[in-house]
Amino acid sequence: MSGTVLEPPPVETQSAPDPEPGGHQIDLSLLEDRVPEQWKSTRRLTACVALLGIVFFVFCVRPLWHTDLWGHLAYGKLIATLRALPSTEPLMPLAKGVPVIDTAWLSQLIGYGTVTTLGLAGLQGLSAIAITLCSAVLLHRTLNRTRSLSFAMLAVIAFLWLDWAQLAVVRPQLAGLVCFLVLLHRTTSRQPRMFDWWLIPSLFIAWANLHGSFIFGVCWLLMMTAGRAIDLLRRTGSVRSLTHDVAVRRLLLWSELAAVAALINPYGIALYGEALRFGSYGNLASLTEWQVLDVRGLHGKVFLATTVMLVCLYRFTPRRVASWEALSLVGLSLATLTSARFIVWWSPVAALLLATHARAAVHRWWPWTPTVPPSPRTGKWSLVTAGLAWIFFAYSPMGMRLMHHREPSPERALSSFTPIAAVSYLKEHPPRGQVFNTYEWGDYLQWAGPEGVQVFVNSHAHVVPRDVWLHYMQVVEEADGWADILDRYGVNTILLDHLNRSSLIKKLKDDAKWKIGYDDKQAIVFLRRKPI
Amino acid sequence: MSHRTIPTAAVWGAQFAVLAAFAASYALAKPVDRQILVSELTGRSAAEVVTIPRETALTIEPLYDDSEVISDDELALVLAQVVPRFPQKQLKPNYVEHALRTWWMKARFSDPTVMSGEQMKDYLVDHGRYLASWGDDIDPLLQERSNGVAVRWGKDLCASVHHDHWLACLTEAGMSLNEPVFTPNRRHHTANDVLQEAIRDFRLDEVETEWSSLAFALWMAPQKTWRNRSGRELSFDLMVDRLVRGDKKLGVCAGTHRVYSLMALIRLDDEYHILTDEGRKTAWSYLETVRDAITVSQFPDGHWPSNWPDGADAVKKPVEEELFKKVIATGHHLEWLAIAPRELHPPREHILKAARWVIRTTIQQTPSDIGQRYTFFSHVGNAMALWRKTHPADFWMKWEADHPGWVDQPADATAVLNR
Repeated sequence: MSGTVLEPPPVETQSAPDPEPGGHQIDLSLLEDRVPEQWKSTRRLTACVALLGIVFFVFCVRPLWHTDLWGHLAYGKLIATLRALPSTEPLMPLAKGVPVIDTAWLSQLIGYGTVTTLGLAGLQGLSAIAITLCSAVLLHRTLNRTRSLSFAMLAVIAFLWLDWAQLAVVRPQLAGLVCFLVLLHRTTSRQPRMFDWWLIPSLFIAWANLHGSFIFGVCWLLMMTAGRAIDLLRRTGSVRSLTHDVAVRRLLLWSELAAVAALINPYGIALYGEALRFGSYGNLASLTEWQVLDVRGLHGKVFLATTVMLVCLYRFTPRRVASWEALSLVGLSLATLTSARFIVWWSPVAALLLATHARAAVHRWWPWTPTVPPSPRTGKWSLVTAGLAWIFFAYSPMGMRLMHHREPSPERALSSFTPIAAVSYLKEHPPRGQVFNTYEWGDYLQWAGPEGVQVFVNSHAHVVPRDVWLHYMQVVEEADGWADILDRYGVNTILLDHLNRSSLIKKLKDDAKWKIGYDDKQAIVFLRRKPI
Repeated sequence: MSHRTIPTAAVWGAQFAVLAAFAASYALAKPVDRQILVSELTGRSAAEVVTIPRETALTIEPLYDDSEVISDDELALVLAQVVPRFPQKQLKPNYVEHALRTWWMKARFSDPTVMSGEQMKDYLVDHGRYLASWGDDIDPLLQERSNGVAVRWGKDLCASVHHDHWLACLTEAGMSLNEPVFTPNRRHHTANDVLQEAIRDFRLDEVETEWSSLAFALWMAPQKTWRNRSGRELSFDLMVDRLVRGDKKLGVCAGTHRVYSLMALIRLDDEYHILTDEGRKTAWSYLETVRDAITVSQFPDGHWPSNWPDGADAVKKPVEEELFKKVIATGHHLEWLAIAPRELHPPREHILKAARWVIRTTIQQTPSDIGQRYTFFSHVGNAMALWRKTHPADFWMKWEADHPGWVDQPADATAVLNR
């Protein structure tokens, strides 16, 4: 028997490319991505980490401001030494006996712990971490609302730009800002989670011990409750629906839980008393950042421009506008106009809403705008992400300190307005009796100056007795009788800056009672010829 | 709790829990914190009422009966110059306060034109009498506040010139805490209401603290601390720090009232321990420097100048000044030295010289001169009586009783001075 066996047709295989003359060719397609699935990352995440890395690095290298920070560290040192909180002002001799509720004791302790273990680099790193955390939380929430990385990044950039001046000053307010951003994130989430019932009270326990702005957080929750109630009322027209609405109940309970959680602090309910009192301290009215926002200045103009942008966006946005948005923007805007310092709370809200409605408007009015498709999750992006994070950390002052024990020099780590040399002089020549110092330098003098130095005022202006504060202003403003004030307080040493006090310096130079003890381009120290 | 449903019972339960938490927190709070919280919510003062442990204030007795400093005759002549013979119209409260402080409430005079201690006290505590002197075209001396009585003070002739001087003078004069005080609305107030208001009102860094510190110490001892309206915790130690603060020449009457108040605090501390060791040391050190300054700043004729803090420079480069300023410095220094221990005295010769000068100067003044500078000479009268371990009223009333007709025909001053 005969038959024909047909040979199967040859299977076509992808032939390997012709090897390049003289070299090996790597076929990347043969590489297997062995990164576990849960660790795989996307291009989007890498971009976020890059942005946050830049934020971290920028704020890590930014010099430490010459004001509040040092006073807070001094209080932190006192608390760590005494292992107790002072009940009356402990550091300013002219404010002895003034009751003190230290609303930022935990921040001060953390700050002190950081500077003693990691030095100046640690402080820079700590503030950078806080700001990066704020940026990350805002980035996440905006991304969630807009589904657009570019607009989410816009929100972060807007937030940093609007708050640039406030973020420059390292102080417990940063801790409050972190807490607020977390609260903002949770209260603007479309789907509340079970863990929010634990997170929010825990957040407020921490917040109430980190910074006095916790009261703003409680108000925020109440505002969100009111916003939800208004929306419901507008939609249903029924008051009864308010009492049964889950969201209203949830927000109200969160507000109450937050208020109760804030009682867990060393002062208990007295903390609320202090929060109520704070706004009424007359001394704060003399401080620029507590005054009406100067709309002619750079920050005022930026604030106004952003407000106008928001108004325009709200005009054209196709998104439904929730009442909480209007309440928060109007309330915070008014607060910022009356007291410039509120800009720090207004900025993240404005940035979030700016990005949200800008994205919606662009999507509505320019639908042809190309969008970058999301990249697949791959191990490659995980590596790039990790690498970027490492680079930003390793090259930062904090990274250098942790890994190589390299401490930045004070001249690089501190702002150029810090009176390093003048205070060193005073440390070598301890002043006798009362010192008169500018408000801006009181904290640094207390921290870096001679032990037990009798500063006139420091940044805790609300603690300075009213008469003392008025007398301080009388001297720096060279009002009638200013020279007598120095005699009346028995001032034997004066520390002033050339930049803002040149007129006062000239008068002291002409006064036979005073001689110059130290003088450089930045600061001058006067000594009384016949000490009191 | 599920985010899909929140039972009504849970909501109500949460309300009770929240109320309970706040109530418990309030109950556990320190009294001072509760007070501050209530004051923030209601606008009321945060100061607590200070319990005064006595009906009449403490007195600081003089230490020396030294006839070499001043004789009986000389004392009579000096006191004769400072009897409170004032015109009844537009009667200056500052004059009455000084006179009352010198003569005390128990003072009685045979001369009907001279105000008795009771009459002077009545003038200061009764708005009606003040009104009768000044008319109703001016602000009242005694001003009602929400829960106390304040005394108007300032540069006006119709006001009490110095802060808490009214209180300090009446305190030293022996006023009772329950002494009725009649304000324009004639409501039932007492001296305690004035004292409590002064305590609330007091600010450590105000310009004048000399009389406040003296009055508070005389009433409050042995209590060491208290709070003012703003909740600041004050103490006599802080008072000392405040009194020693600043150039010595500053303060009322060439800085001498600060010295008297410090000495009074030390004397009260001897018995009632109102100062800590550090506070006492601060006050004592200051007085030592005052002693050293007056030791070298006395002029050959015995007077101290108003720039006595300049020490020897005050004599080397004397300043031109009117007589009354020399009387202020000399009279006030002699006053505090009379209640000071010997360790704080300049050499005895200095005291004798100062006394000689001030006695001679006082006796030589015309009634018109005294009338223009009564307040300063009143201190001289008080100081000289203290150096005989007595008080002007006690001495004068005995003197009048023992020397009937002396007032109408006093001894020849020149003869007395030259004896």
